[in-house]
Amino acid sequence: MTRPILSRRNFVTLAGAGTAAAFGIPAYLPRIGEAADTIKLGLLEPYTGVYAGPAENETHGFDMAVDAWNKRGGIMGRKIELVKEDEQNDPGVAAQKARKLVNQDKVVALCGTVSSGVSLSVAGVANTLGTLFMDSGGHSDDVTGKSCHWNVFRTCHSTWMETHATGYSLAKRFGKKWFLITPDYAYGHSLETGFKDVLARIGGTIVGDELTPLGTTDFSSYLTKIDAAKPDVVMVLVQGDDYTNCLKQMNQFGLLKKYAVGGPQVELEPLYGLPPEARQGYWGIEWYYKSEKTLGKNNKVAQQFVADTIKRVGKPPTARNAFGYITLDRLAQAMTDAKSVDPVKVARAIEGVHFNSIFNGTAYYRKEDHQLMWPMWVAKIRPDGTPGDKYDLFDVTDTEAAEAVEQTIAEKEKVCKLGYP
Amino acid sequence: MTARSELIVSAVVVAVLACAPFLSPLVHLDISIVSEVLVTALAVMSANLLLGYTGLPAFGNAAYFGLGAYGAALSVKYFNVDFVVAVLVGMLAALVGGLILGPFLLRRRGIYFGLLSIAFGQVFYFIAYRYTDVTGGEDGMNFPRPPIGIIHVVLREASFYYLVLAVFVVCLIAFRTVVRSPFGRTLVAIRQNETRVRYLGLNTDRFIFVALLISATMAGLGGALFGLLINFAYPLELDWHQSGYFVLMMILGGAGTVWGSLVGAFIYVIGKDIISTITPLWQIFLGALFVACVLGFPRGIVGSIQALRRGGAQTFADDDVNAAFDANAPVEIGRGV
Amino acid sequence: MIHDLAPQLFNGLVLGAFYAIVAIGLSLIMNLTGTINMAHGSFMTLAGYLAYSLVLRGTSFWFALIAAPLIVVVVGIVVERALVRPLYKREPFYSLLMTFGLSLIAEEVYRLIWGPNGVPFSPPPALNGTVALGFMNFPTFRIFIAVALIIAILALAFFLTRTRFGLRLRAAVQDTEMIAALGTNTQVLYAVNFGLGIFLAGIAGVLAAGMLGLSPTSGNALLMPAFVTVIIGGMGSLFGSIVGGLLIGMAISLTTLFIPAASEVSMYILMAVVLLVRPRGLFGEEGIFG
Repeated sequence: MTRPILSRRNFVTLAGAGTAAAFGIPAYLPRIGEAADTIKLGLLEPYTGVYAGPAENETHGFDMAVDAWNKRGGIMGRKIELVKEDEQNDPGVAAQKARKLVNQDKVVALCGTVSSGVSLSVAGVANTLGTLFMDSGGHSDDVTGKSCHWNVFRTCHSTWMETHATGYSLAKRFGKKWFLITPDYAYGHSLETGFKDVLARIGGTIVGDELTPLGTTDFSSYLTKIDAAKPDVVMVLVQGDDYTNCLKQMNQFGLLKKYAVGGPQVELEPLYGLPPEARQGYWGIEWYYKSEKTLGKNNKVAQQFVADTIKRVGKPPTARNAFGYITLDRLAQAMTDAKSVDPVKVARAIEGVHFNSIFNGTAYYRKEDHQLMWPMWVAKIRPDGTPGDKYDLFDVTDTEAAEAVEQTIAEKEKVCKLGYP
Repeated sequence: MTARSELIVSAVVVAVLACAPFLSPLVHLDISIVSEVLVTALAVMSANLLLGYTGLPAFGNAAYFGLGAYGAALSVKYFNVDFVVAVLVGMLAALVGGLILGPFLLRRRGIYFGLLSIAFGQVFYFIAYRYTDVTGGEDGMNFPRPPIGIIHVVLREASFYYLVLAVFVVCLIAFRTVVRSPFGRTLVAIRQNETRVRYLGLNTDRFIFVALLISATMAGLGGALFGLLINFAYPLELDWHQSGYFVLMMILGGAGTVWGSLVGAFIYVIGKDIISTITPLWQIFLGALFVACVLGFPRGIVGSIQALRRGGAQTFADDDVNAAFDANAPVEIGRGV
Repeated sequence: MIHDLAPQLFNGLVLGAFYAIVAIGLSLIMNLTGTINMAHGSFMTLAGYLAYSLVLRGTSFWFALIAAPLIVVVVGIVVERALVRPLYKREPFYSLLMTFGLSLIAEEVYRLIWGPNGVPFSPPPALNGTVALGFMNFPTFRIFIAVALIIAILALAFFLTRTRFGLRLRAAVQDTEMIAALGTNTQVLYAVNFGLGIFLAGIAGVLAAGMLGLSPTSGNALLMPAFVTVIIGGMGSLFGSIVGGLLIGMAISLTTLFIPAASEVSMYILMAVVLLVRPRGLFGEEGIFG
C-alpha cells in the first residue's frame, strides 16, 4: 500500500489549524472598521505572566471609570471605548501593541502597564508617536525622572515616595538599625538607594544588606544572617512571588516573632497568597478600601467606588483598582476641560490641576515631572482580617503627605526635561 | 523545484512583502509587526543553519540576538553613533560572543551542545539583568533611533520597514548561497555522519565553528534591527525561552529549508499578535502549537510542501535536507539532531 | 565566620535534599527513554494546587501529601501515553520542545482554574514551627523535607532492588531490546517509569508549596536547578542526582555567604564546567546521551 501524500497526522493537524482559524477570524473582524463617534483609549496590561492579578484589578478600575463617564454622556458627548491589549509583561510586545493601538486602532491616548520595564518602553513609543501615555501602575523613578516626557503621566507612587514614606515611619516606630533584603536588580537597587537616603537624613545605619539574586526561591541563606546582625527592623524589599516566599520562610525560621518586619510596599494581591501566620509587619500601601485615613471622611465617591467594585467583582478593590479608576477619570476630565483630544492640549489640562477623587484630600499631577502627588500610607497587617471581612488585612497607621516624601521640584528638574513640542 | 520556478516564487513573495505597508492595515496589523517578522526570520535563519543544516541543537541563539540588540542600544546611548554603525556594533558584539563561546561549544555534540548553549545564554542574561547602571537591568534600556549618517534621515515606520526588507532579502540570498555551497553541503554531511566526514580528512570543528560564527552574526543583525525597531533592549530577549521560540519557528516553517525561517517567523509573530488581541488565553494556543508541531508536523510547512511535490514517497533526494526531520525517516539518513 | 558557616552548611544540606527529590524524578524519566521533561515543574505545581484544593475541602495535610501526587500521576500517565510515547524513537531535543510547550499550556490552565494570584498553603501547625538546634533555630518543615527524602530514597531503592518490576526497570535501562526480547511489555514499563518520576515530582511539589509560594509560575523557578542537578550528578544515575542535589544546595548556600551576587549564575557556570570537563557528570553512565 502506498503511503498517502498527506499523512493522517498531518491532515489532522492542518484540519485543526483550519478550524481554529475559521473560528478565530470572525472574532477578530469586529476590530477592523471604525465607530467614528467614540473616543478610543488604549489599555495595555499584562494579562498573562506574573502580574496578571494586578493587571485584572487595574482593568476593573479602568472599566468602572469608563462606565461612570459613559453614564454621564461620555467625553464631549462621545462615548469612551477602551481597547485592551495584553502586553505580556514584555517590553518588546508592549512596544508593538502600542504601535498597533495608535496606528491601527486610532486610540487618542494609551494607559496602563504594571512593570517598570514595560512602562518605559511604552513611554518611549508614545513619545515617538506623539501620543499621551498615562502610566497607571509602573513605579520606576525614571518614568518621572530621567526618562520623563511631556506626554507621560504617572498615577501610582514612585519608588522614592515608597521608601521615604515607610522609612521615616518605621524608623520612628522601631529604630534606625536596619537589615535589608534587597532583590538584586533595578527595582531593588532603587529601593535600596531610597532607603539609604532616608537613613542618611535621620542618622541611621544599615546592619545588613542582602542582595538576593534573580530567581531566588529560597531565602534561608540570607535569613540565617539576621540574628548576628541584631537589627531593629528587617526591611523586605522583594516583591511578588519572592515576597511570599521570603515571608513564609521568615515565619518558618521563627524570625517574625523575634524581629519587627516592614517594607516599602505591599499589595493585597500577593498578601492573599500568604498564609495568615506569615502576614506580619508594617508596610507601605498606596490606597485602601476601608480606612478613613485613605478614603477621607464621608467620601461619597470613594464609598460608591468600593461598593460598586464589590458588586461587580465580588471582592473589594485594591490599590490597583484605584490606579485604574483615578487615571481614567482624570484623563477624561482633562479632555473635557481642554475640549479636545489633542495630546498637547490635554497634557496642559492635566498638569497642575488640583482635584478630589476616591482618596483622602486633594491631589495634582505635578507640572515639573507629571507625578501624581497624593499621600502614601503605612499600615500594619491584620493576619486574619476583621470579623466578617476576610479581605480587611490592613490597619492603616500613618499618612505621609506626597510633598514630604517625593523628591523636590529642584531635584527633579536636574534630571527631568519634559520637552514639550 | 526548478531554478526558474524558484525565481518566480521568490519574486512573488518579495513583491507581496513590498506591498505590506498597504496590505497590513487591511487586516488591522501595523507595519511594525511585519518588520518584526523579518528581523525574527533572521534569528530563525541563524538557528536553522546550526540545527536544521548542521544538526546541532541551537538553544542559545537568543543570546546572540540579545547581544545584537544591546550592542546597538549601548553604542547609541553612550556613544551617539548613527544607524549603520549601531547595527554594525550589534553584529560585532554577537560575533565576539560567538568567538568566545565557540571553542567551548565545539567540544560537545548532541544534547550536551544544546545544554551548554542554554547555560551560556543564561550567563549573558544574568549580566544584562544585574548590571543595572549600564544596561538598565530588568527594566531594559530605552534608546532613540539614530539617523542614517550620510543622508541624515531618521527612518520612520514605513521607510524603516523597507530597509529591513532589503536587509532581509540580501540575507536570504546569502543564506541560500551558503547552504547550497560546498561549505553548506559539508555541514549537512556533518549532520548525517560527522565521523565519516572526519575520515574524509576534513576538520569538522573548523566547519562547525564557521557555521557558529555566521549564525551568531546573523542573529546579532536581527537583534540589532529589532532593538532599533522598538527603541528598546531588555534582558528577556536573551533568555533561553526565546531561543526555544526561535527553534519552534524553525520547525514550524521547515528546518533545513531556505524559506522555512520566513514562514515560521510569519506564522508565529503574526499569529501571536492576532490571537493575543482576541484572547488572553493565547499562551494555550502557543503551547498547543509547540506540541502539535513536534508530534504531528516535524517537517514544517515548507518541508511538507517539498515532500508533497516529491509525491510523498519515501525518496529522500539529495537536496531534501528537511527529510531528516520526517517522523518516519529511516535511521540511515542520520537524524543527527 | 565559623559561626556563620555551620548554619549555612546545614541549611544547604537540607535545601539540597529538596533539590535531590526533584532531580531523582527527572532523572528516572530521562534514564529509561531519554525524555527531557521540561514540564516537570508544571507537574510539581499541579500537585501543590491539588493539595491546596484538597486541604481547602477539609482533608488533612497528610492525606493531601499522598493523594495529590497520585492524582498527578494519573495525569502524567495520560500525558505519557498520548504525547511522550510518539517521541521515544526520536532525539531527546523533541521531547524537550514538546514538554516545553506543555508547560506553557499548564501555566495558563492553572491561571484559569486557581486565579492569577498566589494561593496560601501551609504545612500543618505541628510542622510549621522551629526546632532549636543549638547553633540556630531551624524550621521544622525543612527537617521534615529531609526526612521525606530519606524515606523516598529508601522506598525507591527497595523498589528497584527487591521487587521484580524494579529489577526489570533497571534491566531495561541497561538494554531495552534485550528485555523486550525476553518477554517484558516495555510499554507498561515506560508508563510506570514515567509515573514513578511524576509521583516524586508530585511529592516534591506539595513540599515546595509548603515551603515556598504557590502560583501559576511556581514551577518554572525550580526546573533549572533540577536540570543542573541532574547534569552535575550525572544523567543516568539516581545516586548522582542525590549527590548532585546536595552539592547544589551547599554550593548555593556557600556562594550566598561569600559572593551573594553570583549564587544564581554560579549554578549555570557549574553546569557549563561539568559539561565541558566531564559531560556525563559525577556518576553518570555513557549511553543515552553519548
